Amino acid sequence: MPQTENMTIAHKDPKLPPPLEVPEGPGWTALLQNIGAAQAEVLCAAVRTFYPHDAIPEACYRRVVYQLDQAARAAAAAALVRGFCGRLAELSALPFFELAETYRVQALKQIETTPEFFFVQRLSVRYFYDDVELWSAFGYEGASVHLGGYVQRGFDDLDWLPPLPSDL
Amino acid sequence: MPLYDFDDDDVVVVIGSGAGGGTLANELCQGGLKVVLLEAGKHLTVDDFVNDDWAAYDMLSWLEKRTASGTWRVARDYPNAPSWHCKVVGGTTTHWSGCTYRLTEDEMRARSLFGEIPGTSLIDWPFKLDDLTPYYEKAERKMGVTRTNGLPPLPANNNFKVMYWGAKRLGLQQISTGSHAINAVPYDGRPASIQDGFTTSGDKHGARWSTLNVEIPRALATGRLDLRPESRAVKIEHSADGKANAVVYVDAHGVTRRQAAAIVVLAGNCAESPRLLLHSASGKYPDGLANGFGHVGRHYLRHVIQTVWSIFEQTVNMHRGELMGGVIKDFVAHDPQRGFAGGYYIELNAMGMPATAALVDPGWWGRDFAGVMEQYSKMSGIFMTGEDMPQPGNRVTLSASEVDAFGVPVANIHYDEHPNDLLMRNHGYNTLTAIHKAAGAKRSIQAPAYAASHNLGSNRMSAKPQDGVLDRHGEAHEVKNLFIADGSAFATGGACNPTLTIVALAIRQAEYISKRGAA
Repeated sequence: MPQTENMTIAHKDPKLPPPLEVPEGPGWTALLQNIGAAQAEVLCAAVRTFYPHDAIPEACYRRVVYQLDQAARAAAAAALVRGFCGRLAELSALPFFELAETYRVQALKQIETTPEFFFVQRLSVRYFYDDVELWSAFGYEGASVHLGGYVQRGFDDLDWLPPLPSDL
Repeated sequence: MPLYDFDDDDVVVVIGSGAGGGTLANELCQGGLKVVLLEAGKHLTVDDFVNDDWAAYDMLSWLEKRTASGTWRVARDYPNAPSWHCKVVGGTTTHWSGCTYRLTEDEMRARSLFGEIPGTSLIDWPFKLDDLTPYYEKAERKMGVTRTNGLPPLPANNNFKVMYWGAKRLGLQQISTGSHAINAVPYDGRPASIQDGFTTSGDKHGARWSTLNVEIPRALATGRLDLRPESRAVKIEHSADGKANAVVYVDAHGVTRRQAAAIVVLAGNCAESPRLLLHSASGKYPDGLANGFGHVGRHYLRHVIQTVWSIFEQTVNMHRGELMGGVIKDFVAHDPQRGFAGGYYIELNAMGMPATAALVDPGWWGRDFAGVMEQYSKMSGIFMTGEDMPQPGNRVTLSASEVDAFGVPVANIHYDEHPNDLLMRNHGYNTLTAIHKAAGAKRSIQAPAYAASHNLGSNRMSAKPQDGVLDRHGEAHEVKNLFIADGSAFATGGACNPTLTIVALAIRQAEYISKRGAA
């Protein structure tokens, strides 16, 4: 992602692993153990349709598919993920990931009340926004205790409202 | 090796190490009693804790399956986790945001004050505020509550500035950074807050009181506490004459143990405590322990808790600083003119981006949602916690078909909204939104409630045995030597964050048990 002056420096807790490295090209699905390549592309397109941030690189979306793949080690979760892809496949002659955004949105709305949708959408919101690369882009600074908190780093630096009285 | 023998029938067994159980265990140890403290979760330390919304949630939470029913939206959004609390030594005090407000005299006489409200099962507390006041004072000293005992308040943060100016411009009066069991200056061996914003992820810095960092170490130092983490209580037993006398639990190695007891205290929060009572049914108590009048699990409360998230033109950085460091008390007192019974507190709310995305409106996706999340740094949160109405049908029950890994039936939590709850929520949403608008909000999102965290009332105290489960000391009306020390004992919910009251009640209960002696 290009560095701009609007980027925040975000920190993952030092005890936690760094974000998964995801290959740039189409071979990224080799990361997966439980989800096939075609389904992975469907899921990736679904996550981008859920959370369409145009400036965010594909890697952030692919990491979510990796987490869905991890979840799919359990048979019940695997069935839900497969079912999600299956429902989308039934709605169009074209593969879901080839649909224009407006048709992807339409398809997802049609299955919104299904357990498969619930499972994939709720898990994907949990993992997609838990990504330090994304935090940097949108101004969330992440872990702070190892940096001394914000007591010296702007916990009260908001200056576009009048100063507060001193008797609070 | 356990400190006490399994057949030592002279110990007090406390189940759960949070605000109620952890405090009670320490108070009893200080008073010379022998205590076995069973905690289902692990004994973690600050070295284990992380500054991370989800990693902390996974580390601290009670994650086992429950089910939900009723008209509350929580049943749709969190069908297998409708009630939320922690499973770890220290219980939910490893998570709480430190807000420490006392019940008012009026909140403890809800039935008398509100009168008859159809559909509710309101009662008055079986004692008055005056009885509780000395214990509030002890609790505040123990916890180092700001604005008490000469301790300074928390400083105002960015999110507070937004709330303050919005409220001020609306003419509200009772606005402050609030009262917290979080140090603004070093106190009692704990450091001052560094405004890290991760109090609710275990509080790695340790500025906030918890039973993990204060009560349990002090109880251990007496040599009288036998702390048994990863010990899952599954049944409470009683003697032939009907007194509680043992707890069956499964230890960290999966071995089933039976610990004899002079006194048994449940402090497992509002789903687990009634679940254990119901599951401990016997020939003498066929409907579950202490359930002779059918109140175990009923009258479940979770407060009217809502958040409004707003987007401003300029940066707020709500994640910096203590997350709930602000309060407005203009709507605390009951005022029939508002058209509903009971009051509510307005407080700050802030979350990291991961939690905000998941909780702002579960199930929301698409361009509009993404556009909101992109403005995270310009977002401000404001929160209400208000009194919800007790209803007998809002209750914890046991599944007839599904059991957990320990063979105990899964709990279902049923909650139907009372019309009064809806009126209060509507008033609150309007007020919170107006405050942000007056501060310059471009857009406000009135978020649905998340999984219940102010869980109260499901084993309530009552003056008359036919109205509840517990007497004025939190001892079961029906089963002697069986006490409850968690929020399920509340007769009604009041409006404020319940932890201070749970701690005060535990101190009071410990004094009663110590005076009576374990026998």
